[in-house]
Formats: sequence, structure tokens, C-alpha cells
Amino acid sequence: MDTFTQIVLSGLTLGAMYALSAIGLSLVWGSLNMLNMAHGALLTLGGYASFAAITQMGLPLFAGLLGAMAVGLLVGLAIYAAVVRFMLTDPAFETNIIVASFGLAIILENVILKLFGAYPFTQPFALKSGLYIGAVHMPYQNLFIIVGSAALMMATAWVITNTRMGRAIRATAQNREGAELMGVSVNLVFAQVLAIGGMLAAVSGVMLSSITTLAPTMGYDPMLKAFIIVVIAGLGNTMGALYAAFILALFEVSVQYMLGVRFGFPALLLLVIIALIWRPDGVFMKPKAQRQ
Amino acid sequence: MSRRDIVVGLALLAALLAVPALDPSRYIIGQLTLFFIWATIVTQWNLVLGVAGIFSLAQTALFAFGGYVTGMIGLYFGWPLWFALPVGGLAAVAFSLLIGVACLRLRGAYVALLTLAISQVMYLLIITDTECFYMDGVTCRNLTGGTRGLTKYGDFGFREILGAQWILGNYYLGAAILALATLASFIIIRSPLGMAFRALRDNQVYARSRGISRFKYQLLVFAVSAFFTGLAGGFYAGHFKVMGANTLYLSLSLFLLSMVIVGGVGRVWGPLAGAATLMIADEAFKEFVEYRNLGIGAVMVLFVMLLPKGIAGTIEDTLLPRFKRAPKGEGQETG
Repeated sequence: MDTFTQIVLSGLTLGAMYALSAIGLSLVWGSLNMLNMAHGALLTLGGYASFAAITQMGLPLFAGLLGAMAVGLLVGLAIYAAVVRFMLTDPAFETNIIVASFGLAIILENVILKLFGAYPFTQPFALKSGLYIGAVHMPYQNLFIIVGSAALMMATAWVITNTRMGRAIRATAQNREGAELMGVSVNLVFAQVLAIGGMLAAVSGVMLSSITTLAPTMGYDPMLKAFIIVVIAGLGNTMGALYAAFILALFEVSVQYMLGVRFGFPALLLLVIIALIWRPDGVFMKPKAQRQ
Repeated sequence: MSRRDIVVGLALLAALLAVPALDPSRYIIGQLTLFFIWATIVTQWNLVLGVAGIFSLAQTALFAFGGYVTGMIGLYFGWPLWFALPVGGLAAVAFSLLIGVACLRLRGAYVALLTLAISQVMYLLIITDTECFYMDGVTCRNLTGGTRGLTKYGDFGFREILGAQWILGNYYLGAAILALATLASFIIIRSPLGMAFRALRDNQVYARSRGISRFKYQLLVFAVSAFFTGLAGGFYAGHFKVMGANTLYLSLSLFLLSMVIVGGVGRVWGPLAGAATLMIADEAFKEFVEYRNLGIGAVMVLFVMLLPKGIAGTIEDTLLPRFKRAPKGEGQETG
């Protein structure tokens, strides 16, 4: 019984981490068709911003979260203003933006390295102690990120489906020219999405680093997992990404427990490939007839 | 192949063959050899990405696969690397077919992700490989070499023939592989295969109704490109005498992808121009160690923003027509 509890709790924690990594990415990729390779760097940036505010400047805990949000928002906007804005009309936008955002990721990562050094730090924004479920220890911080990730995802999904801004974002995602003809300012939408995406990534970075460690390269691995989650859920499907994150994490932890840790990710990938052959548009999307 | 391409190709080849006559330092020869390896991968990646329109990020996985197979055959079967090298290339072809069948039916961005994830899985399986496969004296060695890398499988034997000048043997072998890979990419772009892709790009519905199967042709190009990429991997293994999981780092993969894009996606001379540009940029920033990566990042962003068609694309479409009126449509030929 304790083994089972352990698998479920580890799976939930891992799922929360995956969900956190996927939030901002799902928004940016789903609505702008922009595979943002700088997402990992934004996660890292958020983690360090909180560290700088709390540990180095001595501000209270929640100032760390707010500081990370502000930094993420500003950097997201800066990415739009300095790079994305000029590339929107490029016919090869989808490929070229990968290279451009990867270049940005290298720049951000190196700025962080210059400012903080390569030495790993612990994230101060974390709850202490925990509780016991049976014989299994569950730190409060893990519970916090499980709830926090689900709440952030749901809030994002709500904004996208229910607000005027969300409607403009969805319209742009479906058909950029069409939205423009209806009076949607596509430039404004791109700026908003990148700013919100940056903010969400930064918050996720704070929570992610609270149960791992802060290092300049900490964002890469979560970013790769986030890509997978977003693909399997279907582009732009935020709630689907939430389910996918927890289901895949539970599957991965079970495989790790049964076959050994090193086979967790390969098994996960195999499952994803099979799922995508079965449902090429994502598991949580309605299959749609497509004219070839 | 236009006459211009033949002239450029022969001139480049002659220049590269003549370099050792200038008696350059060993460092320059080494860097040029590395350039041959990267440029070989990049020419093939360009075929996959720019000609066949497959958004694959698994090119370095195929490269590493070829390298590891070559090394393992040398180590475990005792074959000379000269025979192991083509087997490595063919193994990469087999691997590419497996990846292709699983991924190529999916839509663009999904292909990118799955292929990226496949290289990541390969990386993880290699660095977590801790089981003893054989004992080397008292040390335990893993099947793949694990985090230490695969070693002791020999080299191409130039040390015995050329003595201190052994590196020149590797230099010419690398140049030969690059020349073959470039020639192959030319032939594919101009062959019925290349025509089929042009037809698919220009009018997909019409091309399909004439019986051109996108999947079949994509798989074919993917496999051909895997052969030369695998050869480059085997050559890398033989040149450096160690094959490690660092060949699967995301940073290397994206560095090479940037070469494709900076050079000009789908252009015949793009890969060579891109590989040369980024290696020179890399070299220039070596002086300022601290800002090296920062500089490369900035170069990538600026190139994509200012020259979205890449170096070769900009020269072909913008600069050349200014000097002379190009024959109709020549600039778009490889588009």
C-alpha cells in the first residue's frame, strides 16, 4: 500500500512539474505557432529573479514571486519588441523563429551565468516541513506546487476561453489574416501572449526550482518535457495539457518503479509516439476531417 | 547542375586540397577537419529540412548513431575502421527508416518534437548506462562507454603511413566525405526526387493526383541523408578516437541547425556558407572566452532577423541579379 501511495505521490509531484513547465509554452506555441526555444531560459530567469529578490535583497517571500512575474513579463515583452515583431511577416517564420529564440536562450542563459555564476543555489521561495500519508513523507512544498500548477493552468484556460483578450488570441491562432480583418490588432495579441507567456514561465520557474535546484541550465530538461506534453494534448489545448502532464507523469513513475529509472523517459516517448500515430492532432482534441 | 555550381564546387575543392601545401598549423588543419564533419551533417540536414520539408531535429542522433556503431564494431569485432565506417553509415540508414516510419506521417512541428525527444532518449540511455559489459583489466566498461565515452577502437591507420603528418590523412578523408555528401545533395536536388518535392511544394493537390506520394519520397530522402550523416559520425569517431554522449547535446544540434538556417535553407551552397560562417564566428569569439556563447547567440538572432533567406539565398536572389541578369528563374531553382 505504501508503495502505491509513493508512486501516486511521486507521479503527482512530477506531473505538477510537467504541468508547470508546459503552461507558458502551451499558450505561446498554441496561439502564435511559435516554438519558443527560449522557454527554458525564461523558466530559469524566473527562478533566479525570485532568488535575487529574497536571498540577495532580503525581501519577503511573496516579493520573490512578484519579482519573478515582473521580470518574466518584461523579458517576454522585450522578446516581442526586439525580435518577434520583425519576423512576423517572414514566410519561414516557423523555422526561423526556432533559431532566433534559441539564440535568445543562449543570450539569457549567459547573462544569468554572468550575474549569478554557475554555482547551484537553493530556491528560497519554499515551504518547510511536510506531512505523512501512511509511511510516505509528503513535503508541503510538493502539495503546494501540485495545487499551484493546476490553479495556474485553469486560470490560463479561463482567460483564453472567457475574456475579450482570450477571444482575440484564439481568433489570431485560427487565422491571422481573418482576425486582422475583424479588427483584431495582431501585433497587440503577439505582444500580450509573449508577455503573459513570459510571466507564466517565470512563476513556473520559481516553483520548479523550489523542489530542484537553481542552475543556469535548469530550464532545458523541463522545456523538452513541456514540448511533449503540449504536443500530446494538442496545440493550444491548455486543459488537455494539464491532464496530459499528470497522466504521463504517473505512467513514467510507474515504469521507473517497475523497470528501473533509466527506462522511464524512453517508455514515455514510445507511448507518446503510439498515441500520436493513433491521434495525430493530439489525444485531447476532437478528431477533425482534414482535406489533404 | 548549372555551370556556375560546377565552377564554384571545383574551385572550393581545389582550395581545400591546396590548403596543406601552405603548411598551416596543426590547429588549422584540425579545425578544417571539424568543419568537414559539421558541413557534411549540415548538407544532409539541408536536404531533409529544405528540400524534403521534413522538420527533423534528429540529424545529430543519426550522426551519433553512425559514430557509435562504427566505434562498437571496431571495438567488439576488431574490424578496421575502414570497414566499420560504411556499416556505421548503413546502420544510420536503418535507424532513420525506423524514425521515419514512426514520425514522418505526423504534422511539421510534431515531427520536430518527437525527433528532438528521440535524440534526448538516446543521450539518456547512453549516460545512464552503468552495467558492466566487459572488463578492461580491473575497470568495468559499459556497452556504450557510458559517461566516459567509447574508446580504444583504433583509427584510420594514417599514423603508420604518414607518421607525424597523420592528421593530413584524416583531413583528406574528411574532405572526401564532404565532397561526396555535397555531390549527393546536388544530385538529389536536381533528380526526379527533387522535382517531385518541387511539384509537391508548388501544387500539392495536383502533384498528389499525379501519383506522387509525399511520405514515400520523404522517407527516401531521409534515408539517403542518414547514410552520409552516419558516415560523418563514423569519421568523427575515427578522427577523435573517442565517441561520447556530448555529440547528442542539444547545444550541438542547435548550433548545426543554425548553420543550415544562416546559410540558407534549401539552397545548394547554403550549408557550406552557413557552416563556415558560424565556425568563423565561433573562432572569433574564442579570444573573448567569457562572451563566446553570448556572441554566437547574438549572431544567430541577427542573421535570422536581417537575412531570413540566409547567406546563399540573399546572394542568389538579391546580389547576383544586380551584376548580370540571371537566366529566368535561376534564382528560384533550388528555392
